[in-house]
Amino acid sequence: MQPETSPRVTAKTDRRDWSRLMASAQDGDRRAYSRLLEEVAPYVRRLARRRLRSVEDIEDTVQDILLTIHAIRHTYDPRRPFGPWLVTIASRRIADRVRRRVFLLNREVPLKREHETLSLARTNLSEELVDGHRLRDVVEGLPRAQRWAIKLVKLRELSLKEAAQESGMSIAALKVAGHRALKTLRAMLVPHED
Amino acid sequence: MTTTRDLIRLLVADASAVRRQPPPMLRAGIWIAMAAVLLTIVAATIGVRADLGVKLQDSTFLIEVASAGLTGIAAAIAAFHISLPDRSGRWALLPIPALLLWLSTVGYGCLTNWVGPGPSDLVAGISLQCLETIALGSTPIAVILFFMLRHARFVRPLATAAVGAIAVAGLTVSALRIFHELDATVMVLIWNVGAGAVMSVIGTLLGPRLFRSSM
Repeated sequence: MQPETSPRVTAKTDRRDWSRLMASAQDGDRRAYSRLLEEVAPYVRRLARRRLRSVEDIEDTVQDILLTIHAIRHTYDPRRPFGPWLVTIASRRIADRVRRRVFLLNREVPLKREHETLSLARTNLSEELVDGHRLRDVVEGLPRAQRWAIKLVKLRELSLKEAAQESGMSIAALKVAGHRALKTLRAMLVPHED
Repeated sequence: MTTTRDLIRLLVADASAVRRQPPPMLRAGIWIAMAAVLLTIVAATIGVRADLGVKLQDSTFLIEVASAGLTGIAAAIAAFHISLPDRSGRWALLPIPALLLWLSTVGYGCLTNWVGPGPSDLVAGISLQCLETIALGSTPIAVILFFMLRHARFVRPLATAAVGAIAVAGLTVSALRIFHELDATVMVLIWNVGAGAVMSVIGTLLGPRLFRSSM
């Protein structure tokens, strides 16, 4: 019967192998180096997965770790265990990635529906909401006093006094007519929300 | 985008044999020896202080110079250790006892010289000379140290830069005290503590960038 091996023992054995592989890699053995990196990649991926969620972040971190191993492989002393050397490098790169992610999160604002100008199916641009031609037709259809009030005060932007002189209406009558006209227009032009 | 498998292939293709780095204690020793040689050259060009014979009888002066030098040596050993991934970051604590002793001698000097600080405490001529000594002595040894520790950018860049700066400051200030007659309270305080603090801050701020650009 095959004796059961605990994961911890396997990891230790792996790391002893990794130590030998790294020593050979330092001497220029490319096959040993290839095997080392192939074996180390899934291990550091597991470490990265504990702190990072996004698949891209995890893979980028694994690549950062492999690049760091490559850049400072001359600093590894084969007389010392490989585990602490690798784990420190991995922890630093993972921490860097987490820090960068937090930095970006604090500076990025997710684009939500309320940030969009056209968030409704119906456009909210006033030009399109109220068609110009239709507005003119509706104004022409208003009672005479209301039509004058709108044309003189709202469209030509005359003062109430000037509008009163031109129309021959009193200021009070213009005010009342203008108020009624707006109410009528609102009722006719603005669609009712369900 | 390069996949991890592709990256491994690229790294393996680039993997020529590398020369293993000597142990950190040996590398620290090499740097300290180089720093001693450079500082001696600076001393030879500037000349030692006239009252050195008298000062060597002064125990406070001796403790101050020795503790600054010890701080430099301990910080150098610490910096070379913490720059490696498989060494504990607690090595950074190594220079603390010597550093405290150094700072306490500066404080003691302040206390004894505090009575009646006159205009002689701030002599521009001396301070400019000292600035020159600091620049002459510390710049080359700092450049060598940052070059020797350039791999630290991947491991503990900030801590290595800060401890490295303390190493440079400790050795430079201990040399400075032998070269210059600078016992005035204010100046001693400025140079001893100020040099250490400024170099630590510069090292901390620029260290990671220096490391980055050198790799």
